[in-house]
Amino acid sequence: MKIKSILIANRGEITMRIIRTARKMNIQSYVIKTVKEPNAWYLEEADHIIDFTECFSDIAEFLDIERIIYAAKENKIDSIHPGYGFLAENPHFAQRCKEEGIIFIGPSSEVIYQMGNKTVAKEYARKNNVPLLEGSKGNLKDAKEAIVMANKIGYPVILKAASGGGGRGMRVAEKESEVERMYNIASNEAAKAFNDPNMFIEKYVQEPRHVEFQILGDQHGNVVHLGERDCSIQRKHQKLLEESPSPALDPELRERMGKAAVNIAKGVGYYSAGTVEFLLDAKKEFYFMEMNTRIQVEHPVTEMVTGIDLIEQMILIAQGEKLAFKQKDIKLKGWAIEFRINAEDVQSGFSPSLGTIEKITWPEGDNIRVDTGVRDGSVITPYYDSMIAKLIIYGDTREKALQLSSQAIKKFWIKGTKTTLSFCRAVLQNKNFRKGKFNTSFLTNELKIHYHNAPDEEMLAAFFAVYDYVREVGDAEGKTLNVEKSKNITPWLLNKRLR
Amino acid sequence: MAESKSNGSKVTKHKLIALSSSKKQFEFSNPQEKIIKYKGEKVKVRLSEDPNGFSYIVWKNRKYMLDIIEKNQNRYTVMVNGVWHTFTIESPFSLKRKKLLEKQAGVSTSESIVSPMPGKIIDVFVEEGAEINTGEPLLILEAMKMQNEIISPIDGIIRKISIRKNDSVMKDDLLIEIDRR
Repeated sequence: MKIKSILIANRGEITMRIIRTARKMNIQSYVIKTVKEPNAWYLEEADHIIDFTECFSDIAEFLDIERIIYAAKENKIDSIHPGYGFLAENPHFAQRCKEEGIIFIGPSSEVIYQMGNKTVAKEYARKNNVPLLEGSKGNLKDAKEAIVMANKIGYPVILKAASGGGGRGMRVAEKESEVERMYNIASNEAAKAFNDPNMFIEKYVQEPRHVEFQILGDQHGNVVHLGERDCSIQRKHQKLLEESPSPALDPELRERMGKAAVNIAKGVGYYSAGTVEFLLDAKKEFYFMEMNTRIQVEHPVTEMVTGIDLIEQMILIAQGEKLAFKQKDIKLKGWAIEFRINAEDVQSGFSPSLGTIEKITWPEGDNIRVDTGVRDGSVITPYYDSMIAKLIIYGDTREKALQLSSQAIKKFWIKGTKTTLSFCRAVLQNKNFRKGKFNTSFLTNELKIHYHNAPDEEMLAAFFAVYDYVREVGDAEGKTLNVEKSKNITPWLLNKRLR
Repeated sequence: MAESKSNGSKVTKHKLIALSSSKKQFEFSNPQEKIIKYKGEKVKVRLSEDPNGFSYIVWKNRKYMLDIIEKNQNRYTVMVNGVWHTFTIESPFSLKRKKLLEKQAGVSTSESIVSPMPGKIIDVFVEEGAEINTGEPLLILEAMKMQNEIISPIDGIIRKISIRKNDSVMKDDLLIEIDRR
């Protein structure tokens, strides 16, 4: 059945992104207006708005399964795209869509459940001969069992929530004395975030790279991979920068890892877009980590190097169509890098920097793509994630992509909140990053100062502070302050200092 | 220009100093004139605003985006190209005085742990009077749905705990004070 309308159960840049493809495919887009962001940009881009501002519910708008289903039925909408986060990997939501005859643009509810549970997912990987890290076969009973297992596996170990994701519910223990504490922290976090305190344990690979494969499968058993993304630049398991391809892979390794990813997907009967995540150690051995059953934040880098619109593919697959290409048709061309520009204060441990984006301008041009849901006057609220935009840069080679990145970042200006742009600049200037030599420890071991720090800039900041101060004081006194004469300035300053 | 106003009397060169949070000093002898003396050379700067309303400074033919993100009396936080810097503006006299006062106060022997971000205290691992080593966990702060371990930056003895389990804290709230050992 051809999809004629989509309800996008999401917000921000991913909603804008889905609207773009819907428009291209002549599909009517419906979006949800919430009281938390009643002036969001995505509302203007969509064909139709469903107003959730006047219903009162304890459940947050984008998590309210029944309300979203009801809205889709009431407006006779064919399908729902969940975006990422929120209900994207909720098997119950996919199930409810199916029951109500709404097409869920994503995999089946069974597969979401199986892959969402990491212990079940690992079992599938084992069955399909995909390398796995040594660890517990199922969930741990308690912290005591964690200690026993950890001693058997050898340190360091990582404690992971069975339902975890996004870096939450995950802790490393370096030695026996840390296991119980880390188990409790991670389990508490998981209980709150995912409503499931269950934990498992694995050998912790030191300084691995995070390499994930994009896969696409249709409902007729065809599965292909679209190459990899290297997401090793992370802070506390939160991705900050992604690129495709990975500087660490050669064609032979790519083929082996790609095959492993496709095998897992085929093994579970996967359809739609999905991602198989691997850890790659220094010896280039790879291990299955988990599978994400949604469109990923970093999907644009794959689109740039393959020329395939992943959202379009998800829609076509949901309609029941066969993939129009085979593995041999997929050619990776050039290099793409994505920078996540978040409203975070890099200089204060990446703490959220909420507020109003007073002004924002970004670079435009060939090989530059900006995905955002933010414009002048948009508010970064505490209700949602702190992402402002994704800057995606393409080049024929990695070298060219890096060069264009440096230029483009200089033209990305944001006034109103602190952002991770200064972090992006620091990464781009790092020699080892430029050489492609990095892993998930990059921020702790390599990039000691997480922002670009230039002496010229500090001096100019100092100058501007003094300049503004003199002007302000001058204005307050009704005349220009005479800084030349110590007699004029001293008493005033002294009063201030001594008060 | 200020010199001409001073009626030709002998002027002692006067300066203002921006003192950074890391105690770096930046001296400017005549900041109204938009001329910066830097490493022995004088360079004229240009302050402008682009059509989008962003302020910038041009220095040595390079453009730097500028924004004052906080000011309070003589305290300034200025953002240049996305990186913020904090200064206090001092006269030579006030700077001297400040240094003197700091010297008298002596080197701080205790460390105050403040909340790096708004959040909730999930657990406190230490008690007042307990010994603590560098890198050992003090408490868990939950912020943005992440549980963060706050660790001790020094070897010391817990002097005071200002929070309790389940308290909500704001950024920069005092959490724990540790006496250096």
